[in-house]
Amino acid sequence: MMQEAVQLIAAFLGSLGFAVLFNIRGEKLAFASLGALMSWGIYLITAHFTDNAYLCGFVASVMLTLYAEIMARIHKTPVTVFLVSAAIPLIPGAALYRSMNCLMQRNWDGFASNSAYTLLFAASMSAGITFTTIVFRMIWKWAYSQRRM
Amino acid sequence: MKREEAEQYLYCAMSIGEQLLISGAEVGRVEDTIRRICMAYGAERVDVFSITSSIVTTMYGGEFETYTQTRRVGAMANDLHKLDELNRLSRRICAERPEPVEIKSELDKICGGPRYSFGVQLLIYALVSGSFSVFFGGDWKDMAASAVIGVLLKFLEAFIKRSSVNPMITALLCSSAGGLLANLVVLSGLGNHADLISIGNIMLFIPGLAFTNSLRDMFSGDTITGLIRFMESVLLAVVIALGFTFANFLF
Repeated sequence: MMQEAVQLIAAFLGSLGFAVLFNIRGEKLAFASLGALMSWGIYLITAHFTDNAYLCGFVASVMLTLYAEIMARIHKTPVTVFLVSAAIPLIPGAALYRSMNCLMQRNWDGFASNSAYTLLFAASMSAGITFTTIVFRMIWKWAYSQRRM
Repeated sequence: MKREEAEQYLYCAMSIGEQLLISGAEVGRVEDTIRRICMAYGAERVDVFSITSSIVTTMYGGEFETYTQTRRVGAMANDLHKLDELNRLSRRICAERPEPVEIKSELDKICGGPRYSFGVQLLIYALVSGSFSVFFGGDWKDMAASAVIGVLLKFLEAFIKRSSVNPMITALLCSSAGGLLANLVVLSGLGNHADLISIGNIMLFIPGLAFTNSLRDMFSGDTITGLIRFMESVLLAVVIALGFTFANFLF
């Protein structure tokens, strides 16, 4: 439990830093880093119910894209602003590092398993992001056309 | 619209598109923005094609017949505040149709907009490295070491960027230095895990924005741009990870 709390704080602070590096300003800074806190929170909650890390990554990125799309509509700003910094904690940086480290030490088994994890995790994240973007846009367009009629 | 006017309006539209692309917009947004602006000023048909490094626009209309401009777009500089402001400006242009002089002065204002100072960025590099070092399981010693190395890497990056070499080389040099420093810190007993220290630093350089944009590009129909960005970001990520692990090979 302690470890999860530390991770959540670290995810929040790290993404806050990233939001600053992307030159996000004002209250959007807070909403962008809250998105990261939420996405990692959802990852941890999903991890309680399943051992499949890819599924956790998928669910977390679905939720964070939903959050980013809604926030972008509220603040009338491009979705990228909220999406990018909220996705930061999910990026498999550690696995990427480990796979290259194994490559350097000619540890082929470690290289294979770590790079497969990196690729698959990135793929499940992208699946979550694109799936939500497409569905959200379809629903939004439909709602818009209903309102006009 | 006379030919001279068309020239000026298209020039403004292209400048906005160029700045959007530089600050980190998807190409779909760039194309859409240029098209909307030209249509707002009375073009009958507008064809825009953009990839990450170039924009081509042709507009057709009554008095000026056909008119084309192209732009070569240079280095990327992620700036989501600028992206936001440009988006707001283009909405306003479509609604109010201001004169080119006014558009230019607004654009200059946006391009000279606020950025966080170097001092703040140093702090942020420390914050990001420290946070992610802990995030992936480092202890407080690793966090401190990672934060200090983050600050040093920011200095190094700023120094290398002044001589404007390509981003791949910058990333390779910075990450090798980062890996080396992490190993030295562990050897001297100031940190406990070289890998967790480096993992904190690695997050600074991983091209997250380019990667998410590449996905958004690909799935909104701009496959070419998506693939270019995807390849660039994957290549960069691999180069960075190799740079950081290269030092482990030496020790």
